[in-house]
Amino acid sequence: MDSSTAQIIIEIFHYLFFTCSVLAILSYIILSVISARETIEYVKKNSFVNYNHILSSPISPSITIIAPAYNESLNVVENVRSLLSNHYPNYNVIIVNDGSADDSLEKLIEAYDLEHIDYEVNGKIETQPFRRGVFKSTNPAFEKLIVVDKENGGKADALNMGLNISESKYVACIDVDCLLLEDALQKMIKPFMEASDHKVIAAGGVIRIANSCIIKGGKLIEVNLPKNLLVQAQILEYLRAFLLGRMAWSRLNGLLVISGAFGIFDKSIAIEVGGYDTKTVGEDMEIIVRMRRYMEEQNKKYRVAYIPDPLCWTEAPDNYKTLISQRNRWTRGTIETLRKHRKIAFNRNYGKFGLISYPYWLVFERLAPIIELTGLIYFGILVSFGMVHWEYAVLFIAIAYFFSVLFSTVALYSEELTYNQYKKRGAGYRLILLCFIEPLILHPVVLYAAIRGNIDYYFNKKKKWGAMERKGMASAETN
Amino acid sequence: MNIYQHLLEFFNETPFLIKFAIIVVVVMVITIIVLIISLKMIRSLLNIKDKEILGYKKEYEALVVEYLFSEAQTGELSDKQHSIILKIKEDIKVIPRRKSVITVLSSLMNEVSGEMSDAIQTLYHKTGLISYAKVRLKSKKWHLVAKAIGELRRFKIHEVQDEVSKYINHPRVEVRKEAQLYLVHLFKFKGLNFLDDLELPLSEWHQLQLLEALLNLEDQKICDIKPWLKSANISVVLFALKLVKVYNQFELKDTLVELLSHPEKEVKLYASVVLNKLFGYEVAASLKPNYIN
Repeated sequence: MDSSTAQIIIEIFHYLFFTCSVLAILSYIILSVISARETIEYVKKNSFVNYNHILSSPISPSITIIAPAYNESLNVVENVRSLLSNHYPNYNVIIVNDGSADDSLEKLIEAYDLEHIDYEVNGKIETQPFRRGVFKSTNPAFEKLIVVDKENGGKADALNMGLNISESKYVACIDVDCLLLEDALQKMIKPFMEASDHKVIAAGGVIRIANSCIIKGGKLIEVNLPKNLLVQAQILEYLRAFLLGRMAWSRLNGLLVISGAFGIFDKSIAIEVGGYDTKTVGEDMEIIVRMRRYMEEQNKKYRVAYIPDPLCWTEAPDNYKTLISQRNRWTRGTIETLRKHRKIAFNRNYGKFGLISYPYWLVFERLAPIIELTGLIYFGILVSFGMVHWEYAVLFIAIAYFFSVLFSTVALYSEELTYNQYKKRGAGYRLILLCFIEPLILHPVVLYAAIRGNIDYYFNKKKKWGAMERKGMASAETN
Repeated sequence: MNIYQHLLEFFNETPFLIKFAIIVVVVMVITIIVLIISLKMIRSLLNIKDKEILGYKKEYEALVVEYLFSEAQTGELSDKQHSIILKIKEDIKVIPRRKSVITVLSSLMNEVSGEMSDAIQTLYHKTGLISYAKVRLKSKKWHLVAKAIGELRRFKIHEVQDEVSKYINHPRVEVRKEAQLYLVHLFKFKGLNFLDDLELPLSEWHQLQLLEALLNLEDQKICDIKPWLKSANISVVLFALKLVKVYNQFELKDTLVELLSHPEKEVKLYASVVLNKLFGYEVAASLKPNYIN
């Protein structure tokens, strides 16, 4: 290769990385502006909503909370108690014990006076069979509770079992270890009931991090900022993702994912599309993409709603190993979903879904880690050959770093003006400091996990979920 | 000064792209600093505001309770009550104080009834709070209009019925919902007459709130639902069907059977649900042809 060819290749790389960076920065700026408008609109709209009407209404729609549990023996009894303490008048809870090897079922039987009942399942979606079957409580205080014990089939399979058993119009699919606030269901059902000229097919909520928060009797008593730096960094990351990213995509009706930790679905549509895909580790994203695709193909007007109120709190990984495993899975889930539905990409028949949402996810979620890694390798090569124009490189890195800090600060700003959860003295300073160090302590790990996810997807097909080590929110970290 | 000049010279000599990047970095750093300072200020301001509002609430709670228990034996306003009205009238010129008074009075309105409720209404009138609400009723900002209607509903202000009725077909759902709730809360079943003129859809969320308002009325003597079962507005028909179901309107059986042939699938389905609930097997013969078709 002569020097002029090498020069052309280098030029191409320069322009490629420059374009990607400019596009990323522009997209974040646009999303921030849109989310600001949507947040203001949401706050205005909800400043005079009375949610109490639904609590005594004879026409409140029925909701089933479906919570899959796999080896959750440590906290399952407490977690179920939390799910049973919701204020919504017309709901029930289905706990699907997905072939747990521990004593989860025994603990539930004992704590809630469960007894086996004969139950004929309308198998609208194919699932793994029952193991010990369906249980209901003999105690009227727990009449809302149904426990299903089935053979292990994974989270998606357990959720499908719940969809088969539920008799409600709507289903709330949640992680059993999540803490749902008492008014969560009435707030989440509102967008479904408000829609008059379109159908709301699903609604997602904000997920907040519960590590170090004080939780008693299944209720959130006090919100604290954890001392663990990794968890703190994830708090900032979640604020950015939920208050800026998803809020903006909600405004554009372009949400492609509802967190698996908490989302409500129109059950009939979820069943019509065949329920959760058991072959992917990103079932939460996949079902939303499939439901949207179905509605687009049916030419029906629809929305995926989003509620920014902090309604669901969950435990975040507090060590690098668990975090990497979680993010690795998220990456594989994204790849699987986007590949499965690649027909949508840049397809005008799918409208904004095909022309904006899907391409955005493809470039800025799916390909971003690969582009970033390529950039780093390229930079390394230039350094080793002494070809780096340092003044350009330093400024390029500075722009990337300060933009990241700026974006996090905007997210903090949004949080402060809306839900302001971290009110304790000193928390504000710590969160600001975090804006500066988060790009250094969390981003490299997330990038590494995403690259590992790509490698595992292509070269380690057997890899599935990976274990999520739980400490339990009742005994959340105090370090 | 030398350093400054040196930096300036360096900046002028650098290529355009570097200059541009330096400007971007400087702008971002300044923005971050401004945001952090304002974040700190907002945090402090919010804390102060929270404490201030809490103080106002305590102050006005005590004042309003004093007002309620200072009534003269004659039924007229006592001197004490006059002085409280004057104080509040003066205070509410300050917006946060006005908001606090409204919050205190609203929560009291929810808890009391009868003479106490009338006394709060009098206080609302005499302090001039009603005038502020009437001004907001004409605002160009939809959320101020909606809030004003909600406030007038809570304080049972009948005299703005005409102004509020104009909003029943407002393009913002929040405004028309508040207007319709106002009519039902204050004028009971008669307030439902807005359904005759409703051109826009009535969402399920909204229907639920209207139904709740109706179910909480003392007098449960329902008006004639039949015309709404024949409305051209599908959501009105569906709401009327809910009323038929909740209020057991057996005499509307024939109209319900007619609805089984309604062109809208949702209406047909709900009519059959209502028929089934009210008449059970009795209507099986009417339902059958629809299933066959």
